[in-house]
Amino acid sequence: MSFNLFAAEEQAVEQARALGERLKEVAPDCVAGFEALIESFQRSIREQRRLLRVSDRLQAQLGTANQELERRRREAETALVELREAQRAMLQAEKLASLGALVAGVAHEINTPVGIAVSCASHLADATGRLKTMSESGGISRGDFARYLATAADTSDLILANCERAAQLIAGFKQVAVDRASSERRRINLGAYIHETLVSLQPKLRPAGHGVSVSCPAELELDSYPGALSQILSNLVMNALTHAFAEGQPGGMAIDAAPVGGDMVRLIFRDDGRGMTDEHRNRVFEPFFTTRRGQGGSGLGLHIVHNLVVGVLKGSITVDSAPDRGTAFTLLFPRCTPDDPAPPAEAPVNPPA
Amino acid sequence: MDTLTIAATGRTPGVAFDFPAGQLRLTGESYPDDVATFFGPIFTALRDYLAVPGHTPIRFDMELLYFNSSSAKALMNIFQMLEAVAKAGRPVAVVWSHEEGDESMRELGEDFAEDLRHVAFSLREVPIGGIG
Repeated sequence: MSFNLFAAEEQAVEQARALGERLKEVAPDCVAGFEALIESFQRSIREQRRLLRVSDRLQAQLGTANQELERRRREAETALVELREAQRAMLQAEKLASLGALVAGVAHEINTPVGIAVSCASHLADATGRLKTMSESGGISRGDFARYLATAADTSDLILANCERAAQLIAGFKQVAVDRASSERRRINLGAYIHETLVSLQPKLRPAGHGVSVSCPAELELDSYPGALSQILSNLVMNALTHAFAEGQPGGMAIDAAPVGGDMVRLIFRDDGRGMTDEHRNRVFEPFFTTRRGQGGSGLGLHIVHNLVVGVLKGSITVDSAPDRGTAFTLLFPRCTPDDPAPPAEAPVNPPA
Repeated sequence: MDTLTIAATGRTPGVAFDFPAGQLRLTGESYPDDVATFFGPIFTALRDYLAVPGHTPIRFDMELLYFNSSSAKALMNIFQMLEAVAKAGRPVAVVWSHEEGDESMRELGEDFAEDLRHVAFSLREVPIGGIG
């Protein structure tokens, strides 16, 4: 005997039928109406059954939809975690790549003084060799000796000056590279640091005739994270070189730094290039926003700048630009970076706020 | 009234009743906020149409993909109205469409046909995405 949800209703129908039989005897004229009533009751029961089925079907559909929703929610969450991981990896790769570019830039820069020193040394060695030969054959004239002395003085001056230049470059670069890699905090002279950072960018600037003018009070000192500052400056310069200037057109860039009040520094980086539309300007700090996708643009350069200014220097950055009117980035940050409860070791890869 | 056409919305079905041709069709999904407001005018139009005796065969295409319990009751009422004119001799056909593999919708169709004795009831299986 299987369970019957409608047992009570069916029993009622049975009872009604029995009642109908009795009605045939006592009130025959009511029979047709009474049977119609039973028929109507039976149809109502059948409709009830159908409605239950409809309702059960809806409930089952809701359950399936909820499961599907939950599955998709999990999928979306997994995808988000993977995306964040990929973004983190890309930012890290970008950071390393920019360090690599720094190394390449400085190596190129050091090549010039070292090259000059090598050719001067070679020239001096040749002259010395010739003088030695003359000396051994006993035929040195006063004039020969005077010429040799002049050559020796000139070349040794050049060797010294260029080796000093190379040493200076290496010292500056060493500090910049260490700062970049270590994210350590220390006191720096802002103007000198800007110049040291620009050295590594010279190979990118010089061939196209681009120039960067720097205006910064000589005594302006920061107690901050120079690695972040250096990366900010090179990303801003590289961004301008990539986007601001038409092919073959030498462009001008300017860095103006000045103290604001007693505790803050305002640093403005501007170019006189082609500027950008409102739409691009509004999205310029978004991660992975690039107008050069597929042409080597990662869309991370300015995003990293934004993260470093906000996350490491505890400052702010705004951008002002219009088509054909150049672009200006204004950074405002404390001269002495406030202490962070958490060390900013991985600050450049912080997700955007 | 020659025709009754109501465009489908997210919650209410599309209605295409071409009365002179005897072609009646419900499509889409039906879970109106207020079943009386939505189905009231449909019942009025249908009742008026069926009240006038005629011999044009009637075909009702039930192509709803999803309907709530109130809409199900409204459907049963429509079927009863059709059954009444069919009993009186007018040819009436109801075609219940369900998507391929939707067994429960097919079984619902069979259930709904239980009270149709004079209406010619048939099931029509359509490919998924093939109705609406």
